[in-house]
Amino acid sequence: MARALNRISSRMVLAVMLIHAVLLPLLAYGMLAVVRNVQEEIFIDHVRIYSRVFADLLQSTGDLADEKRIVEALDNAILGGRCVHAAFKQGDRRLLSSLMDADEGEKFSEDFSFGEHGDNVYYLSVPLLAGNSMAVLEFGFDEEPTLLEMDSARSTILSIVLIYLLVSIVLVVFLSTVLSRPLQRLRQDSHKIASGDYTRKMSVDSNIVEINELTKDLEHMRSTLVGINERLEGEIASREEAEAERRKAEIHLRHMHRLQSIGTLAGGVAHEFNNVLLPLLLYTDLALEDLPPYSPVRPNLERVMKLANRAKGLSEQILTFGRPAGEDMHLVEDMAPVLDEAVSMVRALIPANIDMQIAIKRSVGPVLCNPNEVQQLVVNLCSNAYRSLLQGGGGIRISLRACTVTEEFAAEHPRLKAGDYVCLTVADDGEGMDAETMERMFDPFFSTREVGQGTGLGLSVVHGIVTKHNGEIVVSSEVGVGTTVDVFFPQSDVGSEEGAEND
Amino acid sequence: MTRVMIIDDEEDIRIVLKEVFTRAGFDVVVASDGNEGLNMLREQPADLVITDIIMPGSDGVETAYDIRMEFPKTKIIVMSGGGNLGPVDYEPSAISTTAYLASAEAVGADLTITKPFDREELIRAARELTEQ
Repeated sequence: MARALNRISSRMVLAVMLIHAVLLPLLAYGMLAVVRNVQEEIFIDHVRIYSRVFADLLQSTGDLADEKRIVEALDNAILGGRCVHAAFKQGDRRLLSSLMDADEGEKFSEDFSFGEHGDNVYYLSVPLLAGNSMAVLEFGFDEEPTLLEMDSARSTILSIVLIYLLVSIVLVVFLSTVLSRPLQRLRQDSHKIASGDYTRKMSVDSNIVEINELTKDLEHMRSTLVGINERLEGEIASREEAEAERRKAEIHLRHMHRLQSIGTLAGGVAHEFNNVLLPLLLYTDLALEDLPPYSPVRPNLERVMKLANRAKGLSEQILTFGRPAGEDMHLVEDMAPVLDEAVSMVRALIPANIDMQIAIKRSVGPVLCNPNEVQQLVVNLCSNAYRSLLQGGGGIRISLRACTVTEEFAAEHPRLKAGDYVCLTVADDGEGMDAETMERMFDPFFSTREVGQGTGLGLSVVHGIVTKHNGEIVVSSEVGVGTTVDVFFPQSDVGSEEGAEND
Repeated sequence: MTRVMIIDDEEDIRIVLKEVFTRAGFDVVVASDGNEGLNMLREQPADLVITDIIMPGSDGVETAYDIRMEFPKTKIIVMSGGGNLGPVDYEPSAISTTAYLASAEAVGADLTITKPFDREELIRAARELTEQ
């Protein structure tokens, strides 16, 4: 209730009503007084002039000697309209109009005030000369019609005042609504800002200076807020970005360190391992040579030989992981034939019912590489892709294309520099990897497969090969969706430099 | 008879290589490090020296260099266990046995070979070198 009363429109209506409560009665009273006075004056003037004229006429016609004539004249005065009382008095003689009762004639009094005595009759006496002596004509005029007119004027005035009051209230309500509309609008906009929507500009169409200034001030406040907010959001975003980059770089560095130490360890182990393998292989070979062809020991020794050869293969793979760059590399102008060969090897290894989509672009740019190792890389990646498919079906996609590494991408992958690369992609719709698996996927001997189903060297060999080629391997994987491995080989500028020299 | 000297710090390797070459019809002597090998060569030169590359005392590169200097006609095969020595940073400057083998070749080794190798492979290489 108090809230409703405190609205601008309510306040304005109250103010108008208060002003009118004081002013309107005064006004009405004044108007009524004026009307009353005017009516009264008109009435009195009228009856006086009428009486005077009547007396003068009576005097001038000379009928005053004849009583009958006087009574007729008095009758005429009553018949003529507004007279209710007409009498002639000369000394003791008193003549009344025949249209009046005798006791009516007694009522005459010198009543010179309008509307008094309660009988609604205005009495008036006019002196005149009858013969040689003075006589008096007594008249009584009916005040009723004039009083009725005054009543009706009063009701008209009161109606006008009432209508005026109503119209004022309606106008005030309308004006206050018009006035408060922009304020309402400002209020809604402020609510929006308070609830976090800073983007909407505050603009209110109003001719009222104060509202315009308020709007301007609020808009200024809003734009300042937007500025501060944007700056803060920007700062938060850049901090988060920097934090994410730092975390990424940290993970990458940790990963690199671990792989480096594993590489060192693996290399050392392989070295010792080979020193053991060599005599093992040679002794077994010599022992086999010494055996008679059908010796029962032969099959066992042959198994030893086979296992030692397998160990040799493993050792070679470990060394691929740990071997530094720059060995057995040469400039390959077109990687496509190398890939074609790898794909045909893979095709032979993977069952025909697995869908393989191949998109190898020709002449993607010269790369300094070891084609055998690139092929091994493809075979290893495809083998992993195929094994991930075993449970879910789906296909494998192999593609080769030229690509440009941007500054932003290079920032995310420290081994890459902005520039031209050849990108080899092996993607599958397989079971994917979780974060934990991805963290360890390049570790030698880390395998998610059952014991005996893989050596766990495949991806570590891939990593070794890619690192050796100054490339980068970017793996994205989602459990249940698949894995995409992008391998970036830097395009060699040797070819183009030579070309430039030849020019 | 072609005389071969085996230099390796691993006794098993010395023994088995001696056996391999003996069976192949070579006259074989063995030494456990470079200095011993050089001393023996000074007493009785060999046609072919097969030396390991990483050994205590003087390593294979030094041995190959010394032999080449002192016995220009002697053929030299340097063999390595592969793998790395010391910290490896994926940098070309990192010390690896492959780098050792390259330097051994640079100082005059006729052939470098990575362990483990086949018996036939070794004998064939030895014959090719000594029959030139």
